Amino acid sequence: MSIAFFAAFFLIWEYSIVWFGIPRYILTPPSVVVTKGWADIDRLLYYTWITGVEVVLGYAVAVILALPLGLAIAFSSILRRTIYPFVVCVEMVPKIAFAPLFISWLGFGLLPKVIIVFLVCFFPIVLNAILAFSSLSEELSRFSVSTGANAWRTFVKVRLPAALPQCFVGFKYAAINATVGAAIAEFIGSDQGLGFYIQIVTGNMRPDLAFAGIFFLTILGLALFGLVTLAERLLIPWHISLRRQSH
Amino acid sequence: MNPLIELTGVQKVFGAGPGALHAFGPVDMKIEKGEFVSLLGPSGCGKSTLMLMIAGLLEPSGGRIEIDGRIVAGPQTDIGIMFQDNTLVPWRTVRGNIELQLELRGLSPAAHRASVDELLASVHLEDFQRRYPHELSGGMQQRAAFCQALVHQPATMLLDEPLGKLDAMTREAIRTDLQALWIQRHPTVVFVTHSIEEAIQLSTHVAIITPRPGRVERIISVDLPYPRDFEVKSSPQFIGYVRQAQEIFRGYGVL
Ligand SMILES: Nc1ncnc2c1ncn2[C@@H]1O[C@H](COP(=O)(O)OP(=O)(O)OP(=O)(O)O)[C@@H](O)[C@H]1O
Ligand SMILES: [Mg+2]
Repeated sequence: MSIAFFAAFFLIWEYSIVWFGIPRYILTPPSVVVTKGWADIDRLLYYTWITGVEVVLGYAVAVILALPLGLAIAFSSILRRTIYPFVVCVEMVPKIAFAPLFISWLGFGLLPKVIIVFLVCFFPIVLNAILAFSSLSEELSRFSVSTGANAWRTFVKVRLPAALPQCFVGFKYAAINATVGAAIAEFIGSDQGLGFYIQIVTGNMRPDLAFAGIFFLTILGLALFGLVTLAERLLIPWHISLRRQSH
Repeated sequence: MNPLIELTGVQKVFGAGPGALHAFGPVDMKIEKGEFVSLLGPSGCGKSTLMLMIAGLLEPSGGRIEIDGRIVAGPQTDIGIMFQDNTLVPWRTVRGNIELQLELRGLSPAAHRASVDELLASVHLEDFQRRYPHELSGGMQQRAAFCQALVHQPATMLLDEPLGKLDAMTREAIRTDLQALWIQRHPTVVFVTHSIEEAIQLSTHVAIITPRPGRVERIISVDLPYPRDFEVKSSPQFIGYVRQAQEIFRGYGVL
């Protein structure tokens, strides 16, 4: 079904350009995108690698820092009253607006992009982790307490598995944000990467190559999202959203 | 001998100010070691609240609860509690859920294999031990939760409507099993139920609780021989006890 839908979409795209006589420098048919993109494949692959590194580094650092912070805020009433309101306020700030600043401070290199990807990923993960670790059902927390289990054992056997589904909401949301963050950071200032590529070829009136760049950016986003989804399948196969429908 | 569980002027008020809700008490009550005491009362009269207070999971607003002569000031860990809403976790199988109780207590599931098997068999869940809770019917989940609450063989059990979601036939069967377990090991049981018949069939004493705020005004001592099977249940004495309880509830205007 969905394959047929994709095929129809690309066919309409292909032939509407002919039917409506749209000039090549505005929109190109997918067949041309494929052939011209293939001609430039070396550059596209290299830039995909560059952007991929930014995305993966920023995302990984966000996960590594955001989870413990979310955990700490969920369990500490002091942090809840001090850091939590601050985190919520910062979440309201459009992080991407900082991109020009970071680039002016840190130059065109890898670091400012990683920081921007990190920023757009960090907050959804923190907020979902806080929610995840502070919403154990009253019955389950009473049950755990009544066994006399210490905090660590309760955490490993009850709190952590109970929190994972909500954590993954944050991980997935962040995975969607990550490539957007990287691309925009590259638009603003860089000399390589897919965002840079799309901007340059668009300036050169080459929508065919711009679409090829968008295609690779999409693949990158899907790959990251797919990895996170795979991890989710492996870690919480029992969750209601992942149960296999049996007929 | 001192009573095992002693309540003195125990009450619970939720909230404060004009919105405060007087949920339970004040109640004085003694439960002796090895007794099977049912808490029988209308919905919302504070039965679950009382159970949580005895378990040390909810602080009374007034009065004092003692277990074995010690004042209950925090969670009691040497009892078995079956909560009204089941505490099965979705990421473990039925067997895994039962073992969760053991693991949280630092006991080895391997060392308790036989008793878990026996418990599963007693509630007819052997064939479902590798299934996840969502694959079970409501009644099966409740039976699994029953095993989870009792696998560590506590000498005192607090059971909050353990048979509430069961169909009439299974309910009868599990009642018989519970009674057999009590006859065999004589744990002290505090048992919450809405069913007058069930309370009288199982209990040595039935504490009748008034509508909210719940008070214990009458305790019926049920003087019938165990095991109380179908024959006992159709005896005139049994029916007499049921009548007596019904009369009391009629007096409260809940029947
Ligand atoms: N955490 C709470 N906050 C406020 N009110 C509560 C709370 N828990 C219980 N109550 C109130 O206390 C009263 C007694 O509740 P409880 O759950 O003990 O009733 P119950 O006798 O177990 O009822 P049921 O048979 O329906 O389970 C109810 O009116 C309920 O609304
Ligand atoms: Mg209740």
